[in-house]
Amino acid sequence: MAKMNKKWVILCSTAVAAVYAAGYFTTETQASIQQQPQHTQINIQSNGGQSNDTSINKSPTSSLYQDGTYTGMGRNRRGSIQVAVTIKNDKITDVEISDFAMHYSESDVVGMPEEVIQNQSAKVMNVSGATYSTQAFEDAVLDALSQAQNA
Amino acid sequence: MTANQWIKSPKGYVAIAIVAYLLIASIGSQDMMGIINGIVAVGVSVVVDIICSRIEKRKRIMPDGAVITGLIISLILSTTTSWPIVAATAAISILSKHLLVHKKKPIFNPAALGLLLSILFFQTEQSWWGAFGDLPVWTVTFLLIGGYAVTNRVNKYPQVFSFLGTFFILLFFMGHFNVGDASDALRPPFINAALFFGFFMLTDPPTSPAKVKGQIFFGILAAVAGAVVYGLFGGLMYLFIGLLIGNLFHLLKTRSSSQRKVAERLEL
Repeated sequence: MAKMNKKWVILCSTAVAAVYAAGYFTTETQASIQQQPQHTQINIQSNGGQSNDTSINKSPTSSLYQDGTYTGMGRNRRGSIQVAVTIKNDKITDVEISDFAMHYSESDVVGMPEEVIQNQSAKVMNVSGATYSTQAFEDAVLDALSQAQNA
Repeated sequence: MTANQWIKSPKGYVAIAIVAYLLIASIGSQDMMGIINGIVAVGVSVVVDIICSRIEKRKRIMPDGAVITGLIISLILSTTTSWPIVAATAAISILSKHLLVHKKKPIFNPAALGLLLSILFFQTEQSWWGAFGDLPVWTVTFLLIGGYAVTNRVNKYPQVFSFLGTFFILLFFMGHFNVGDASDALRPPFINAALFFGFFMLTDPPTSPAKVKGQIFFGILAAVAGAVVYGLFGGLMYLFIGLLIGNLFHLLKTRSSSQRKVAERLEL
């Protein structure tokens, strides 16, 4: 088979690059939405169940975290994980993966919520070898905890 | 074949490019685990290839193809992958090259099949780190330089252009109509994966057609199948599935043309 003419190589390369650029700019909005941190706080419960006003529960002496359920997001180049972390009396009582949008299998992180509750820490063992999913999960839990701290 | 001749051969071009990528990506990410995985994958690939060639009583045993398969595997598997998994993936790839054959030629791209089975069997994390997925965007230039050199050497421009062109057109429409996650596929590390795949895996001469028409159809088929799988399921298997479907098409076409030739001879 004869070699492709250089002019055709340049022409085809330009066409491919143009199509790529069109796709890139078409998905620009979608990509920028994904990049934005999605911090939400749901189901805030007051300490002792006395009031729904979170401001009055901040006592200077006591708790590190405000009771409630907080959602945190962890993201890297391979996707994102959203978790819902429930805090009660400064303890992590529940962790749920509310959205798994990594490009890897969800089974890699399935045991991690339990590990966070047991260790009371965002740091988990990466037993599955799933570095990027583990990283995103830890970041999501840390994000939720920082919201609980700042609430 | 002398060393000088080998360097100028298609396999020589591919080997030089991917060894350079292994070194650049390792230095760029300051992680030497990829090189260790590379040594393991190449070692296992060569040993399995030699054993299989001896069992098949081949006259010429030259494991350069196995070296390339091992290197590609190590560039795609995450650097945190344990060495037994790297070794198993390499062994599966080389075994497929010797077991799934038609007229002594492999049916499927060995690295693509091995890596696909590796996800299914071992749930391996594939980061495409050797395609500079974790490095700054400008490093894609290295992929393009090496990719064009290899494509030119193996004479596969029609296949590469038809694959990339079709794939990007489909991603454009997916992005426009909000189907699947097209924005990810057009950005690092996934765009790096698509380029590395298109230049270095799709162009594998034994498992893809040589004629222009065949190349164009092969490229379009691999792109359509890959984009459909990506649109439906996401994940990271879409490129491999696309290529394996293309490989099957190539097998069917080769078989039908050889059957036609036999029929023509019989008629004569």
